[in-house]
Amino acid sequence: MQLNDTAIAIPVSEEVLVSLEADLTEDAQFGSRTLEVTASHVTVRGPGGIMLAQVPVAEARSARNEPLVSGGRLVVQTKTGEEIPLVTYSMTKAHLFSEAARGIEQLCEGKPFDINLKEEKTRCDKCGRLLPEKDGVCPNCVKRGQTMLRILSFMKPYWQRGLLLGVTATASTLINLAPPKIQGLILDNFTSGIKSVPTLFQWVGLWALTVLAASLLQIVNGRTTTWLGCYISSDLRTAVYRAVEFLKLAYFDKKPVGAIASRVTQDTERVWFFLVDGLPWMGLNFLLLVAVAVQLFMINWTLALAILSPIPVVAILSSSMWKPVSNLFHKVSQKMARVHMHLNESLTGIRVVKAFAKEDHEYERFLTRSNELRDAAARADMTWNTAFGAMTFCVALGTVVHWAYGGYLMFTGKLTLGQFYVVNAYLAMAYGPLQWFAMLNNWFTRAMAGAERIFEIIDMTPEPVDMQGKKARIEGEVEFDGVRFGYDKSNPVINGVSFKVAPGEMIGLVGHSGAGKSTTINLISRFYEPDAGVIRIDGTDYRELDLRDYRSQIGIVLQEPFLFHGTILENITYGNPEASFEEAVAAAVAANAHDFILSKPDGYDTLVGERGSKLSGGEKQRISIARAILHDPRILILDEATSSVDVETEKQIQAAIAHLIKGRTTFAIAHRLSTLRNANRLIVLEKGKIAEIGTHEELMEKRGTFYNLVQTQSEINEIIGVGAVG
Amino acid sequence: MEIFYMPEGRLRLTTDDRSYLSVKPAWAAPLTYPGRYLSLVDGKGKQIMMLTEPQKELTAEQWALVSNELTHRYLNGKVTKIHEAKEEFGATYWSVETDRGHKEFVTQSLQENAQWLGPRQLLIIDVDGNRFEVPDIDLLDPASRKLLDRAV
Repeated sequence: MQLNDTAIAIPVSEEVLVSLEADLTEDAQFGSRTLEVTASHVTVRGPGGIMLAQVPVAEARSARNEPLVSGGRLVVQTKTGEEIPLVTYSMTKAHLFSEAARGIEQLCEGKPFDINLKEEKTRCDKCGRLLPEKDGVCPNCVKRGQTMLRILSFMKPYWQRGLLLGVTATASTLINLAPPKIQGLILDNFTSGIKSVPTLFQWVGLWALTVLAASLLQIVNGRTTTWLGCYISSDLRTAVYRAVEFLKLAYFDKKPVGAIASRVTQDTERVWFFLVDGLPWMGLNFLLLVAVAVQLFMINWTLALAILSPIPVVAILSSSMWKPVSNLFHKVSQKMARVHMHLNESLTGIRVVKAFAKEDHEYERFLTRSNELRDAAARADMTWNTAFGAMTFCVALGTVVHWAYGGYLMFTGKLTLGQFYVVNAYLAMAYGPLQWFAMLNNWFTRAMAGAERIFEIIDMTPEPVDMQGKKARIEGEVEFDGVRFGYDKSNPVINGVSFKVAPGEMIGLVGHSGAGKSTTINLISRFYEPDAGVIRIDGTDYRELDLRDYRSQIGIVLQEPFLFHGTILENITYGNPEASFEEAVAAAVAANAHDFILSKPDGYDTLVGERGSKLSGGEKQRISIARAILHDPRILILDEATSSVDVETEKQIQAAIAHLIKGRTTFAIAHRLSTLRNANRLIVLEKGKIAEIGTHEELMEKRGTFYNLVQTQSEINEIIGVGAVG
Repeated sequence: MEIFYMPEGRLRLTTDDRSYLSVKPAWAAPLTYPGRYLSLVDGKGKQIMMLTEPQKELTAEQWALVSNELTHRYLNGKVTKIHEAKEEFGATYWSVETDRGHKEFVTQSLQENAQWLGPRQLLIIDVDGNRFEVPDIDLLDPASRKLLDRAV
């Protein structure tokens, strides 16, 4: 490593092409270092800009990101073969530095410096908080008002019912204030000596009316709430589902299916619940509190002050207790999930458990987890009971204060019995909901977080399905021109691949696992698009084509065929629902599937079960081939279509495939190289680059990479053969 | 057996019969057997030898070189003190001292990303995939332990 003193000073005027901050020092301590790349030098600087290391580009041969545990380092190889680890960084920065490494390599090769440094935001601009997801929303600074408005916009189509909900709820709340008032008046009449029975009946009649009105309002209110809840939740669910459908595949690679599914179900649930239940509840109880307080102050302001004074205490107590208690309950649900996980796992793997006679071991594990759950649940519930008890005391305190001070006022004649009674009734009304006020913040936060996750999906850039591209029937010429692609942009899986395939040609893709075969196929299907270079279909950049029109002309047969729950017929016609039954049968015949379908009691109406679970692997595969034949694609992709079946079934599938590939450009990946014998040409990939292209015979004669692959495989087959005989 | 850097930055190993140009040390089970079972791997990722007790089996000079290489290859922080572990909005914000100095990081869904490797040993993985190890929670000061207990 060239250190400070030996380094050549770079001219000040030279433009810094890229400057990146690393978060580890050369002693592998957490700290800050800066990497600076100019056209002539790669420099590492410490704090204050002190130069720590420098390599002239002229002396460098290549640069790469060496992955390490919890990070990586940028290694420059000099022309003398020396490897210089220039700068170390954590995983947080690794993608940036590997992109920088690519840029340095471009400089070494004399190419223009062209890297794609999309600086992802890791901290919030406003509060500096680390973001839970890169480029995500800061949960602290998110504009709750805006999110709130956006949630409310889902209410818009139903504004009349929303209004009805508001009106009935407000009315029923206010009417509920009346009965205690009437009861008080009756008592006052009694104590003041007016013991008129007709007046009593009048008052009771009025009371009964208010109760009736309140009940009616409650019925309307309840029905409206339910109706709104169902409709809004359905709207939200479908909106999120629609957005999920058009998300780029890269998103599905990053997130587990469960996490995405929970956004469609759980998050929408939280939001509508808040909208339809939480929001009115909050508003109403606030209204109730104010109304009760006004009433109390009108009756006697000193008494009102006295009995309302414990309220702040209750509020503080309840909010301070909420957090630890909810934490405890959170732990309970975690432990519950662990029990479920174990149960699920051990029952799914019950054969393995029995085969290894590990019942006792699994029982021990289950016992441990079950006991953990027991302890956590006991602790949480016991704490909650304590907290609840304390709360009850505070609430009771209000009543005690009332009986002490209000009783004193009554005895000294400053309060009538009726008023005393009214205050007592209102007291319960005010304190009741107060116990739950502390939950509100949590409730609110959860709903907001759910809403943000939903809107994040809805706002995400979808695949360019809506872009009006060219629609045309594809002839089938496929051309890769200098294509580079990596799932993680900094780490190309396909690097500079060029080839041209004529319409109707069958191409076998060959290479070790990780060579880039599946990636090539993903690119052809346009599940991903190249980072650099162009893919042309019939001479046109395929990004100019209409995405859905293009995909509709591609057929894919996967190693694990995916069938949807439904009948065999529905699955065959999935890509082409208008096809006649005759066409479907013809496709099934061509796919060698017709005979086995007929052997089923329900024939083409046989239900395949979830994911086709009621059919064997070979049967599923032949149905998926029939599906592809009926779909009549111009470009066909066979991804290990025969590897998961036995030799006999493979023969049948091979025959089916032979039908399928006629007249279509076909790309096939097969682990068994012998299955690619029919291919017109083979493309041998090695570490993301094309190693060889040619026919089977040509490549065998060449004795290169392909030859070696074939040799290895036939050796393995021999070994398997011997093992089978022995 | 000889271990030395040649050229600089590249660890080289020469045994009786041959020399390996680019040698990487790799822990076989860094969490279960910390400090034991060190594998020396050649440039192609093939194991050259496995050292059960590397610190005893290597000479002091050799171990110094290998452990230097290890510090630069295993960038996990060992947590020695926790200043803060605040749960907010489903994410946990950490501020810790490690054997490599101060670090702040954020974790999500701690059920998956805080793994108990033993009753007292914890591995925390942050949102970027960086790993932080708490080798023994009993060695933490009471305040740190309390924060940790509340967080996970």
